[in-house]
Amino acid sequence: MTTAAMMTADTLPTGAAQPDASGAPTLRKRLTDWIWHIHGSVPLDPGQSPDEAFDRLDPLFRTTGTARERNGDTLTFSKRDAAAQDRMAVFSGGMLWIEAQAEGLVLRYRLLSKALLYCFLAPLLFLAFAQATVALGKLESPKIEAKKPKAKKTPAPLNPIDKALGAPAPEQPKKKGGDDDKDKKPSPTAGYVFAGIFATLYAIGRVFEARRVGALFRRSLRQG
Amino acid sequence: MDGVRVGKRVIGAQAPVTVGWENIPKVEGGPAKRLFFTWFQPVMLFALLAFWFYAPNSIAKASTAVAIGVGFKVLLLGLEWLAPRHDSWRLTWKELTSDLFYVGLGYTLLRVVDSYIGDGAIIKAVQHSFDWDKLSWFTSLPLLLQAFLISFVFDFGQYWMHRGMHNWHPLWIAHAPHHYITQLNINKGAVGNPVELFLIGLGVGGFFDFVPRAVLLAGAFGLAVGTYQHINVRFNSPRWWRFLFNTTEHHSVHHSQDFEASRSNYTNTWVIIDRMFGTCVDGEAELLGMEGGRPMSIGETMSFTFVEAWKSIKARFSPNGYPHAVPAE
Repeated sequence: MTTAAMMTADTLPTGAAQPDASGAPTLRKRLTDWIWHIHGSVPLDPGQSPDEAFDRLDPLFRTTGTARERNGDTLTFSKRDAAAQDRMAVFSGGMLWIEAQAEGLVLRYRLLSKALLYCFLAPLLFLAFAQATVALGKLESPKIEAKKPKAKKTPAPLNPIDKALGAPAPEQPKKKGGDDDKDKKPSPTAGYVFAGIFATLYAIGRVFEARRVGALFRRSLRQG
Repeated sequence: MDGVRVGKRVIGAQAPVTVGWENIPKVEGGPAKRLFFTWFQPVMLFALLAFWFYAPNSIAKASTAVAIGVGFKVLLLGLEWLAPRHDSWRLTWKELTSDLFYVGLGYTLLRVVDSYIGDGAIIKAVQHSFDWDKLSWFTSLPLLLQAFLISFVFDFGQYWMHRGMHNWHPLWIAHAPHHYITQLNINKGAVGNPVELFLIGLGVGGFFDFVPRAVLLAGAFGLAVGTYQHINVRFNSPRWWRFLFNTTEHHSVHHSQDFEASRSNYTNTWVIIDRMFGTCVDGEAELLGMEGGRPMSIGETMSFTFVEAWKSIKARFSPNGYPHAVPAE
């Protein structure tokens, strides 16, 4: 029996992988997994044993807040409150295992990132804030319109010192409209902008973090 | 660790803190690099002040200030990437994303809440109730003096609010999540429980009548001085600058894992207020945070204040919250 088969569903990170009847880790895929799962493979150097490979990867999992379990050719880990500079901080859990393929041994991995998932959902939250602001604006607009228009004060003349230094004279108040009136209405713009920022951050993170962790494993396996 | 005596206090007995400007490292490298990191801060401050002083009325608007603020922060993020002060404070994708979440909350949810129950709304209600007019004599003062007073008076209020947060439990539980940050980056000032972010934004500025240009000039102090509190860049700040203004060094001491060090440097911009009240410690720290540097998740940051408040109330009113009386024999 392989080590993967010995693990129960409780010891595996949720949704990561489940052993099949033959014992090989099979990946239970869901349609939404691509959002927060990152998987890939790195070939081991010829002659590199699974033990040696995991020994080289071990420092990546010897960090504060990381629980890891090694069973033969499989390593599972989970993280909680990872330090900011932990090189695996983006991932909340995952599984790494070694498979024999025609070209030799290969390290395969499937990692879960709650950070990616939350970043994926963040645009929805900010869109909701924007919509709530629009709704509030509609509720408030009758009150704002009902208020009597306040006579705008004539701005005080420039202080002689400012005049001597060449500061522009203050603007005379406009009769209607203007920025002041716009400012009183809550604006949903910030919500839309942040929804866009998080959508962009998600796209960058999903690509960049997948590449970075692959390079990190490759480098760790090569270094003695 | 022995620590260093500063006035009546011993700083750095629990976690490493470098005390004294003479002990703080300088920017290393060629003359151009040293020149840049020595003069960047003053040049940016005076350039911003000059811009807002002379900008035509069509440009001197809040929307321009927002655009300049965003552009300046992007520039500083670039500096963090090119010349980090500490490698242990490097900005990662996860740190940037979580920091921007708090920034986003500030621009959306908190702004709406603030418009209903913030200082502006409260002051409006007070003025309405007592039929007070704004203190309009302010507008006849020179623009730069108005700007200085706006910035200084607001910072003075923030100083006492912040000091109160470190000395009174109900305020501390609102502020504590901000002290779980373990590194300083441009957007880390926004990290914290929304209750704290609301409280720290309260000011008395609404009682005064200001020339809009003076408000924009005052904002230049906040942007070109206050922003450096949380930044992973080393500057050779001139002596007069670090005497007057808060710096990354000062604020890193405030965020140190050392308890006594964290009870210093409360201002946002004018560290001279800390000097006036004896709470200034000139120095720097790299190891930041609480509980030995345990990071706090966004979920815990959001709930911490309410959970701790509930625990405190329960302990206060529960009969089990007090030591049981021991019957006399």
